[in-house]
Amino acid sequence: MSDLDKAISELRACKIIPEPQVREICHKARELLIEEANVVQVDAPVTICGDIHGQFHDLMELFRVGGDVPDTNYLFMGDFVDRGFYSLESFLLLLCLKVRYPDRITLIRGNHESRQITTVYGFYDECLRKYGSANVWRYCCEVFDYLALGALVLGTSSTLEPSFTDKSQAIEPVDDDVEIEIMNSRNEVTARFPRSRRRLFESDGLNSSPPGTPSKTGPSGTGATSDSGGSHHSGGAVLCVHGGLSPLIDSVDKIRLLDRKQEVPHEGAMCDLLWSDPDEIDSWGLSPRGAGFLFGPEIVKRFNHLNDLSLIARAHQLVMEGFKEMFDSSIVTVWSAPNYCYRCGNVAAILELGEDTSNGGVIARSNGDAGRSAQAFMPNLAPRSGPGRRYRVFEAAPQDPRGMPAKKPVADYFL
Amino acid sequence: MEDQGQNDPLFPIAVLIDELKHDDVLLRLNAIHRLSTIALALGAERTRDELIPFLDESVEDEDEVLTALSEELGGFVEYVGGPEYGHVLLSPLENLAAIEEPLVREKAVESLNKICKELSQSQVEDHFIPLTVRLSKADWFTSKISATGLYNVPYSKATPPSQEGLRQQYGQLVHDETPMVRRQAANNLAKFVKEMSPQIVIEEMIPLFQHLAGDDQDSVRLLTVEILISIAEVIPKEQQTSHGTLLTALRSLFEDKSWRVRYMVADRFEKIAKAVDEETVTRDLVPAFVKLLKDTEAEVRTAIAGQIPGFCRLLDRETLLNEIMTSIEDLVSDTSQHVRAALGTQISGLAPILGKEETIAHLLPMFLQMLKDEFPDVRLHIISKLELVNKVIGIELLSQSLLPAIVQLAEDKQWRVRLAIIEYIPLLAGQLGQDFFDDKLSTLCMSWLGDTVFSIREAATKNLKKLTEVFGVGWASNAIIPKVIVMGKHPNYLYRMTTCFAISTLAPAIDLEVIEKSILPMMDKLVSDDIPNIRFNVAKSYTVLIDVLKHLPAHGTIFDLEKSGQTLQPSSAGQHLIQQQILPNLEKLQQDEDVDVRYFATTAAGSVGDAMATSP
Repeated sequence: MSDLDKAISELRACKIIPEPQVREICHKARELLIEEANVVQVDAPVTICGDIHGQFHDLMELFRVGGDVPDTNYLFMGDFVDRGFYSLESFLLLLCLKVRYPDRITLIRGNHESRQITTVYGFYDECLRKYGSANVWRYCCEVFDYLALGALVLGTSSTLEPSFTDKSQAIEPVDDDVEIEIMNSRNEVTARFPRSRRRLFESDGLNSSPPGTPSKTGPSGTGATSDSGGSHHSGGAVLCVHGGLSPLIDSVDKIRLLDRKQEVPHEGAMCDLLWSDPDEIDSWGLSPRGAGFLFGPEIVKRFNHLNDLSLIARAHQLVMEGFKEMFDSSIVTVWSAPNYCYRCGNVAAILELGEDTSNGGVIARSNGDAGRSAQAFMPNLAPRSGPGRRYRVFEAAPQDPRGMPAKKPVADYFL
Repeated sequence: MEDQGQNDPLFPIAVLIDELKHDDVLLRLNAIHRLSTIALALGAERTRDELIPFLDESVEDEDEVLTALSEELGGFVEYVGGPEYGHVLLSPLENLAAIEEPLVREKAVESLNKICKELSQSQVEDHFIPLTVRLSKADWFTSKISATGLYNVPYSKATPPSQEGLRQQYGQLVHDETPMVRRQAANNLAKFVKEMSPQIVIEEMIPLFQHLAGDDQDSVRLLTVEILISIAEVIPKEQQTSHGTLLTALRSLFEDKSWRVRYMVADRFEKIAKAVDEETVTRDLVPAFVKLLKDTEAEVRTAIAGQIPGFCRLLDRETLLNEIMTSIEDLVSDTSQHVRAALGTQISGLAPILGKEETIAHLLPMFLQMLKDEFPDVRLHIISKLELVNKVIGIELLSQSLLPAIVQLAEDKQWRVRLAIIEYIPLLAGQLGQDFFDDKLSTLCMSWLGDTVFSIREAATKNLKKLTEVFGVGWASNAIIPKVIVMGKHPNYLYRMTTCFAISTLAPAIDLEVIEKSILPMMDKLVSDDIPNIRFNVAKSYTVLIDVLKHLPAHGTIFDLEKSGQTLQPSSAGQHLIQQQILPNLEKLQQDEDVDVRYFATTAAGSVGDAMATSP
């Protein structure tokens, strides 16, 4: 077993690894992350996860429900640290997995992956407490600066594969028109939503590649691609960011132009991507968080249309049901920290995007089509048809195996 | 100190001593932890004359440093010149025992007691007991709190007159005006009592206990439960009845108006019952137990539910059935889920006490009801403890009466409940027989393969392996393998992966023919799966298959081999399959575009190489 595999198994048992090893892993991770673009391209199938916030045992629960790395592909949308008791173990485990299986797991930056925020919300103190010095915190912060700002998921399927809920017969065919399925860990499909009127807009005269012609003609989002989702089965591209949109960013390419290797600034495009929230307002609004902006449905729909996105997935906000789709399903919040701060009583969710098998493995690149900006002011911003989405909802890990760092619970109880 | 730079070998020590006074807390802390090194270098005499006085003055520091210092000094006897000089350490520790921070005081008291054990009688008389008395008479309550912990160790070493003095002094602490001191006095009285003879306990300690038991603060009264247990343990059981005061105190504790006191009693019930004589148990404790089972506070009922098997073991079966059982049965429908959950963990423990017939009559109905409890923890606790019941009434009866409930739980909403059931299935299967199993449980087992929770799918594959071990390869190739193959065609990669997992776990339980006819053709298809995750899992499965094929005889399975302990000549057909059907696919996978696929394929191919090397 290599040192890295050993470190992974230590961390899985919620034990910290020696400081020199942390340093080494952080260096390796930086080498790896520096090669990644600001917007990482991720191929479906992938499971998208929201905030973790140091809730290590719930992260383990997530893996128990969603499958382990490397078997399942994961995309984590930031906020690995702070607030929970095990930020170190959670982040280092994810980082080790990233170093060990770079193609199987993607990490992007959240607003808590910053020096300033971690000093206030717990990660700094945790490092100091567990190592006796702030060195490990410093190593981790250097890694934070290299994390990508977003990810673009391509090659999703617009239809949901059958799920297994019928006990008598292993495979239950799901209606082709099902777009969203919500499953809880109770093995129940709690809701299914049929694909609605969207179909009508699907072939709205956009140029589609002739069948059989591979469309891998250029890096995604550069305008060099031609296939904009004419395929019946493609679910379109999904942009993943931690917070949301920025008034300074009107295309995915603009994100690609940012210089990301720095502490999260107090304002500007990079800050907004990590801090903004969607809200039911017209256009833009001031954010009560003091950083980033609020943005309304029109902003999202226009951005998605201009960039040929079918969906924006983001995290950043606690949602009691684990996920929340807004603005006619043009944006979704995914939250993966059940019983947030060990007290909020919420459930968590992960979002599974299936693979599109109809194209024989050829992925339709479909975002950032340059020619489309001319049509930006079309009266009807036809939303693209979204990918088939399966939300797996799960609850917090049982209390027992989680050694809460309380000294003597019974004594406290009486005092 | 003054000697730095004196000569080179001592220089590191000089640095450490400097660090004792350093501005940085971390450095001071570090120096304190290496205090023994300094002392060793200084030698016993200079440690006594210079280091200890210096430490004596350094109580003005961060609590963290003082805690460390208090702890270090406990092991310092050897550095000051052995036990005969041990008393010099008392002075700095006395200062530390008066500090405001409880953690520092706790450590100081701990260290003082540790040192006291090494002191001679005269040292205890001349140095330690005066210290205890000084702390006990101090103005501030922090010193008195520390003092309460410094009685029992010197007591055992002191002369009878000093012992009497200590007892009187302790009486003062028990009667202290601040509840903080009384609380600690109550806490430590339980230990102190154990050092005394029954006669003295009866004459002097019972009055102290009574005083505390009548305290107006419930936080003091609840601590007297432990004292009561200690006293009862010291006084021989046959003498207990003659001391009515104890029993009166016991009864009033049971009925205390504060639930926290009743909680304490409930939580220690088994201990109390073991300490008192049998007559008290049947006359007083049984009614008290029933009363606590019906307490108004859920916390009290939870605590007493935890004592059920422990206490009931002390009773004869008649009393249990006639007087207690109905009250326990009432808890099954308690309004608090925590009470029911606590009952769930404990109730199975009654089965061995009750015996087969009574278990069937009383426990089974309770189980059935609790298995349907709406709170998942209750269901989970019952299932995880079924083993105990199983031993008493036998699996056959258990499965007959519980099977419907188990089938229902197999589809439970909580995946952990489902997991617990899966682990039970092989045991049930062995007892029920193949026909019955195929009839009632087979579809269930297969449906787990497609569960939404990964852990259930994983457990389901392990379950299939165990079932194959029970029912044999023939059954597996008819009942399991087709279902596993179907999973391999699932449109979602996460479910296709289940096939790979199933193959890896099943491999040791199937024979050559099944591998050749069913498994390998299916793997051929999965090798060219679109999703890299499937392809590298195929490679992982190949690793397992190669290992199995290397050892597999022409007939039978690896599992059979291990069970019989035989070593049969591996079949050459196995090697043939590796060469013809597995290696070409692995070569293909080693050229894969995905790095993880290449890695696992190379690992798998490497294991073939081992085979070549080891085969003659």
